[in-house]
Amino acid sequence: MKAPMSGAKTKAKKGVEEMKYILMMTGTKAGVNEYLAWSPSDIQAHFTFLTRLNKDLRESGEFVANEPLGAPEQAMIVRAGKDGAPVTDGVFPEAKEFLLGYWIVDVESPERACEIAARLSAGPGPGGVPLNMPIEVRQILSPRAGDPA
Amino acid sequence: MKYMLIMTGTKAEFEAFTKWPKEDLQANVAFMRAFSKELKDAGVFVSAQGLAWPDQARLVRAGSDGEPITDGVFPESKEFLAGYWIIDVASAEQAYKFAARASMAPGRGGVRGGMPVEVRPVIEHAPEEQLR
Repeated sequence: MKAPMSGAKTKAKKGVEEMKYILMMTGTKAGVNEYLAWSPSDIQAHFTFLTRLNKDLRESGEFVANEPLGAPEQAMIVRAGKDGAPVTDGVFPEAKEFLLGYWIVDVESPERACEIAARLSAGPGPGGVPLNMPIEVRQILSPRAGDPA
Repeated sequence: MKYMLIMTGTKAEFEAFTKWPKEDLQANVAFMRAFSKELKDAGVFVSAQGLAWPDQARLVRAGSDGEPITDGVFPESKEFLAGYWIIDVASAEQAYKFAARASMAPGRGGVRGGMPVEVRPVIEHAPEEQLR
Protein backbone atom coordinates (compact mmCIF):
# COMPACT_ATOMS: atom_id res chain seq x y z
CA MET A 1 0.00 0.00 0.00
CA LYS A 2 1.82 3.10 -1.22
CA ALA A 3 -0.26 5.99 0.06
CA PRO A 4 -1.08 5.47 3.70
CA MET A 5 -3.51 7.84 5.34
CA SER A 6 -1.97 10.92 6.90
CA GLY A 7 -0.11 10.32 10.13
CA ALA A 8 0.01 6.64 9.41
CA LYS A 9 3.14 4.57 9.42
CA THR A 10 4.88 3.67 6.21
CA LYS A 11 5.52 -0.03 6.57
CA ALA A 12 8.68 -2.00 6.15
CA LYS A 13 11.05 0.88 6.76
CA LYS A 14 14.15 -0.88 8.00
CA GLY A 15 15.43 0.27 11.35
CA VAL A 16 12.13 1.82 12.37
CA GLU A 17 11.37 0.58 15.83
CA GLU A 18 8.19 -1.36 16.15
CA MET A 19 5.76 0.19 18.60
CA LYS A 20 2.73 -1.87 19.29
CA TYR A 21 -0.12 -0.52 21.34
CA ILE A 22 -3.22 -2.22 22.62
CA LEU A 23 -6.49 -0.24 22.60
CA MET A 24 -8.95 -1.70 25.07
CA MET A 25 -12.68 -1.29 25.29
CA THR A 26 -14.11 -2.20 28.68
CA GLY A 27 -17.53 -2.15 30.29
CA THR A 28 -19.56 -3.35 33.25
CA LYS A 29 -22.30 -5.96 32.92
CA ALA A 30 -24.90 -3.16 33.11
CA GLY A 31 -23.14 -1.30 30.29
CA VAL A 32 -23.14 -4.40 28.10
CA ASN A 33 -26.85 -4.96 28.77
CA GLU A 34 -27.55 -1.36 27.68
CA TYR A 35 -25.68 -1.99 24.44
CA LEU A 36 -27.65 -5.18 23.82
CA ALA A 37 -30.86 -3.11 24.07
CA TRP A 38 -29.81 -0.79 21.19
CA SER A 39 -32.03 -0.85 18.10
CA PRO A 40 -30.81 -3.16 15.31
CA SER A 41 -30.08 -0.14 13.08
CA ASP A 42 -27.93 1.49 15.79
CA ILE A 43 -26.00 -1.76 16.29
CA GLN A 44 -25.61 -2.08 12.51
CA ALA A 45 -24.30 1.52 12.31
CA HIS A 46 -21.77 0.77 15.03
CA PHE A 47 -20.57 -2.38 13.24
CA THR A 48 -20.28 -0.46 9.99
CA PHE A 49 -18.13 2.10 11.81
CA LEU A 50 -15.86 -0.63 13.25
CA THR A 51 -15.60 -2.35 9.86
CA ARG A 52 -14.48 0.94 8.28
CA LEU A 53 -11.94 1.52 11.06
CA ASN A 54 -10.46 -1.96 10.59
CA LYS A 55 -10.32 -1.46 6.82
CA ASP A 56 -8.48 1.87 7.23
CA LEU A 57 -6.02 0.34 9.71
CA ARG A 58 -5.31 -2.55 7.34
CA GLU A 59 -4.74 -0.15 4.46
CA SER A 60 -2.34 1.99 6.48
CA GLY A 61 -0.46 -1.14 7.59
CA GLU A 62 -1.14 -0.41 11.25
CA PHE A 63 -3.54 -3.28 11.92
CA VAL A 64 -2.15 -6.15 13.98
CA ALA A 65 -5.18 -7.74 15.63
CA ASN A 66 -8.75 -7.15 16.71
CA GLU A 67 -10.62 -9.57 18.91
CA PRO A 68 -14.07 -9.14 20.39
CA LEU A 69 -14.64 -11.15 23.57
CA GLY A 70 -17.66 -13.15 24.67
CA ALA A 71 -20.20 -11.49 26.99
CA PRO A 72 -19.37 -11.10 30.71
CA GLU A 73 -21.88 -13.91 31.51
CA GLN A 74 -19.37 -16.27 29.93
CA ALA A 75 -16.48 -15.07 32.09
CA MET A 76 -14.96 -17.41 34.66
CA ILE A 77 -12.19 -16.90 37.19
CA VAL A 78 -9.93 -19.93 37.37
CA ARG A 79 -7.42 -20.80 40.06
CA ALA A 80 -5.40 -23.95 40.59
CA GLY A 81 -6.61 -26.09 43.48
CA LYS A 82 -4.20 -27.96 45.75
CA ASP A 83 -3.68 -30.73 43.20
CA GLY A 84 -3.47 -28.23 40.32
CA ALA A 85 -7.05 -28.95 39.21
CA PRO A 86 -9.02 -25.90 38.04
CA VAL A 87 -11.28 -24.26 40.61
CA THR A 88 -13.75 -21.98 38.80
CA ASP A 89 -15.81 -19.04 40.01
CA GLY A 90 -18.29 -17.05 37.91
CA VAL A 91 -19.26 -14.43 40.47
CA PHE A 92 -17.95 -10.91 39.89
CA PRO A 93 -18.53 -7.58 41.62
CA GLU A 94 -21.11 -5.38 39.86
CA ALA A 95 -18.44 -2.73 39.32
CA LYS A 96 -16.08 -5.08 37.49
CA GLU A 97 -14.88 -3.64 34.21
CA PHE A 98 -14.83 -6.48 31.74
CA LEU A 99 -12.60 -6.39 28.69
CA LEU A 100 -15.05 -6.30 25.80
CA GLY A 101 -12.63 -6.24 22.94
CA TYR A 102 -9.27 -4.92 21.85
CA TRP A 103 -7.24 -3.72 18.92
CA ILE A 104 -3.48 -4.06 18.57
CA VAL A 105 -1.94 -1.47 16.29
CA ASP A 106 1.63 -1.04 15.10
CA VAL A 107 2.29 2.69 14.98
CA GLU A 108 5.12 5.19 14.86
CA SER A 109 4.29 7.08 18.04
CA PRO A 110 2.14 7.00 21.16
CA GLU A 111 0.34 10.07 19.76
CA ARG A 112 -0.77 8.08 16.73
CA ALA A 113 -2.06 5.29 19.02
CA CYS A 114 -4.09 7.92 20.91
CA GLU A 115 -5.44 9.31 17.61
CA ILE A 116 -6.75 5.90 16.64
CA ALA A 117 -8.16 5.42 20.17
CA ALA A 118 -9.99 8.77 19.86
CA ARG A 119 -11.50 7.65 16.57
CA LEU A 120 -12.65 4.43 18.23
CA SER A 121 -13.98 6.45 21.18
CA ALA A 122 -16.19 8.49 18.85
CA GLY A 123 -17.99 5.43 17.46
CA PRO A 124 -21.72 5.98 16.99
CA GLY A 125 -24.16 5.11 19.77
CA PRO A 126 -27.96 5.24 19.83
CA GLY A 127 -29.27 7.68 17.22
CA GLY A 128 -25.77 7.98 15.72
CA VAL A 129 -24.53 10.17 18.61
CA PRO A 130 -20.78 9.62 19.23
CA LEU A 131 -20.28 7.49 22.34
CA ASN A 132 -17.01 9.20 23.36
CA MET A 133 -16.35 6.10 25.41
CA PRO A 134 -13.03 5.76 27.25
CA ILE A 135 -10.43 3.60 25.51
CA GLU A 136 -7.42 2.43 27.51
CA VAL A 137 -4.14 2.62 25.62
CA ARG A 138 -1.05 0.63 26.66
CA GLN A 139 2.15 -0.29 24.94
CA ILE A 140 2.81 -3.98 24.29
CA LEU A 141 6.07 -5.12 25.86
CA SER A 142 8.77 -6.33 23.55
CA PRO A 143 10.08 -9.02 23.72
CA ARG A 144 6.70 -10.44 24.49
CA ALA A 145 6.19 -11.81 27.97
CA GLY A 146 5.62 -15.51 27.84
CA ASP A 147 7.26 -15.87 24.47
CA PRO A 148 9.74 -18.74 24.39
CA ALA A 149 13.20 -17.33 23.81
CA MET B 1 -13.10 -22.54 20.15
CA LYS B 2 -10.84 -19.70 21.09
CA TYR B 3 -10.46 -18.60 24.69
CA MET B 4 -8.54 -15.75 26.24
CA LEU B 5 -6.71 -16.34 29.52
CA ILE B 6 -6.44 -12.98 31.22
CA MET B 7 -4.04 -11.89 33.96
CA THR B 8 -4.85 -8.66 35.75
CA GLY B 9 -3.51 -6.72 38.70
CA THR B 10 -3.89 -3.46 40.58
CA LYS B 11 -1.12 -0.85 40.58
CA ALA B 12 -0.20 -1.96 44.14
CA GLU B 13 0.15 -5.57 42.95
CA PHE B 14 2.37 -4.51 40.05
CA GLU B 15 4.54 -2.51 42.47
CA ALA B 16 4.80 -5.45 44.87
CA PHE B 17 5.92 -7.63 41.94
CA THR B 18 8.84 -5.28 41.14
CA LYS B 19 10.09 -5.72 44.72
CA TRP B 20 10.37 -9.50 44.48
CA PRO B 21 13.92 -10.87 44.84
CA LYS B 22 15.61 -11.31 41.47
CA GLU B 23 15.55 -15.11 41.62
CA ASP B 24 11.80 -15.12 42.27
CA LEU B 25 11.22 -12.85 39.26
CA GLN B 26 13.43 -15.10 37.13
CA ALA B 27 11.54 -18.20 38.27
CA ASN B 28 8.25 -16.52 37.37
CA VAL B 29 9.47 -15.46 33.92
CA ALA B 30 10.90 -18.95 33.32
CA PHE B 31 7.54 -20.44 34.24
CA MET B 32 5.69 -18.13 31.84
CA ARG B 33 8.06 -19.04 29.00
CA ALA B 34 7.69 -22.75 29.73
CA PHE B 35 3.91 -22.32 29.84
CA SER B 36 3.82 -20.69 26.41
CA LYS B 37 6.00 -23.51 25.07
CA GLU B 38 3.64 -26.04 26.64
CA LEU B 39 0.71 -24.36 24.83
CA LYS B 40 2.63 -24.46 21.55
CA ASP B 41 3.60 -28.12 22.03
CA ALA B 42 -0.06 -28.95 22.74
CA GLY B 43 -1.01 -27.23 19.47
CA VAL B 44 -3.40 -24.81 21.19
CA PHE B 45 -1.33 -21.60 21.20
CA VAL B 46 -2.79 -18.69 19.20
CA SER B 47 -1.12 -15.61 20.65
CA ALA B 48 0.25 -14.09 23.85
CA GLN B 49 1.11 -10.55 24.84
CA GLY B 50 2.51 -8.82 27.89
CA LEU B 51 1.58 -5.21 28.45
CA ALA B 52 3.55 -2.21 29.66
CA TRP B 53 3.21 -1.20 33.30
CA PRO B 54 0.03 0.56 34.52
CA ASP B 55 1.86 3.89 34.96
CA GLN B 56 2.04 3.99 31.16
CA ALA B 57 -1.68 3.42 30.72
CA ARG B 58 -3.74 6.26 29.25
CA LEU B 59 -7.46 6.63 28.96
CA VAL B 60 -8.38 8.26 25.66
CA ARG B 61 -11.69 9.85 24.74
CA ALA B 62 -12.67 11.77 21.63
CA GLY B 63 -13.18 15.48 22.24
CA SER B 64 -15.99 17.44 20.59
CA ASP B 65 -14.11 17.64 17.28
CA GLY B 66 -12.74 14.10 17.54
CA GLU B 67 -9.31 15.02 18.92
CA PRO B 68 -7.86 12.70 21.58
CA ILE B 69 -8.27 13.78 25.21
CA THR B 70 -5.96 11.70 27.39
CA ASP B 71 -6.11 11.02 31.10
CA GLY B 72 -3.68 8.98 33.18
CA VAL B 73 -5.56 8.93 36.48
CA PHE B 74 -7.19 5.66 37.49
CA PRO B 75 -8.94 4.50 40.66
CA GLU B 76 -6.66 2.57 43.05
CA SER B 77 -8.91 -0.46 42.68
CA LYS B 78 -8.57 -0.61 38.90
CA GLU B 79 -7.60 -4.02 37.63
CA PHE B 80 -5.09 -3.50 34.84
CA LEU B 81 -4.60 -6.07 32.14
CA ALA B 82 -1.11 -7.46 32.70
CA GLY B 83 -1.01 -9.93 29.84
CA TYR B 84 -2.96 -12.65 28.12
CA TRP B 85 -2.85 -15.84 26.14
CA ILE B 86 -5.31 -16.84 23.44
CA ILE B 87 -5.68 -20.57 23.00
CA ASP B 88 -7.72 -22.67 20.61
CA VAL B 89 -9.20 -25.65 22.45
CA ALA B 90 -12.06 -28.12 22.13
CA SER B 91 -14.00 -27.05 25.22
CA ALA B 92 -14.30 -24.54 28.05
CA GLU B 93 -13.11 -27.27 30.44
CA GLN B 94 -9.86 -27.60 28.53
CA ALA B 95 -9.43 -23.82 28.66
CA TYR B 96 -9.96 -23.94 32.45
CA LYS B 97 -7.29 -26.64 32.76
CA PHE B 98 -4.72 -24.48 30.99
CA ALA B 99 -5.81 -21.48 33.08
CA ALA B 100 -5.21 -23.52 36.22
CA ARG B 101 -1.71 -24.29 34.92
CA ALA B 102 -1.07 -20.56 34.47
CA SER B 103 -2.41 -20.02 37.97
CA MET B 104 0.39 -22.30 39.27
CA ALA B 105 3.02 -19.68 38.38
CA PRO B 106 5.51 -19.37 41.24
CA GLY B 107 5.17 -16.25 43.38
CA ARG B 108 7.46 -14.67 45.93
CA GLY B 109 9.71 -17.26 47.56
CA GLY B 110 8.66 -19.78 44.89
CA VAL B 111 5.27 -20.23 46.55
CA ARG B 112 2.59 -21.20 44.02
CA GLY B 113 0.56 -18.02 44.00
CA GLY B 114 -2.87 -19.39 43.10
CA MET B 115 -3.13 -16.33 40.86
CA PRO B 116 -6.67 -15.84 39.52
CA VAL B 117 -6.92 -16.13 35.73
CA GLU B 118 -10.01 -14.85 33.95
CA VAL B 119 -11.18 -17.03 31.07
CA ARG B 120 -13.43 -15.69 28.31
CA PRO B 121 -14.43 -16.99 24.89
CA VAL B 122 -13.11 -14.95 21.97
CA ILE B 123 -15.78 -14.25 19.36
CA GLU B 124 -14.54 -16.05 16.29
CA HIS B 125 -15.50 -13.56 13.62
CA ALA B 126 -14.37 -9.98 13.26
CA PRO B 127 -17.19 -7.43 12.79
CA GLU B 128 -16.65 -7.22 9.02
CA GLU B 129 -17.22 -10.96 8.71
CA GLN B 130 -20.43 -10.80 10.71
CA LEU B 131 -21.81 -8.33 8.19
CA ARG B 132 -21.29 -10.60 5.21
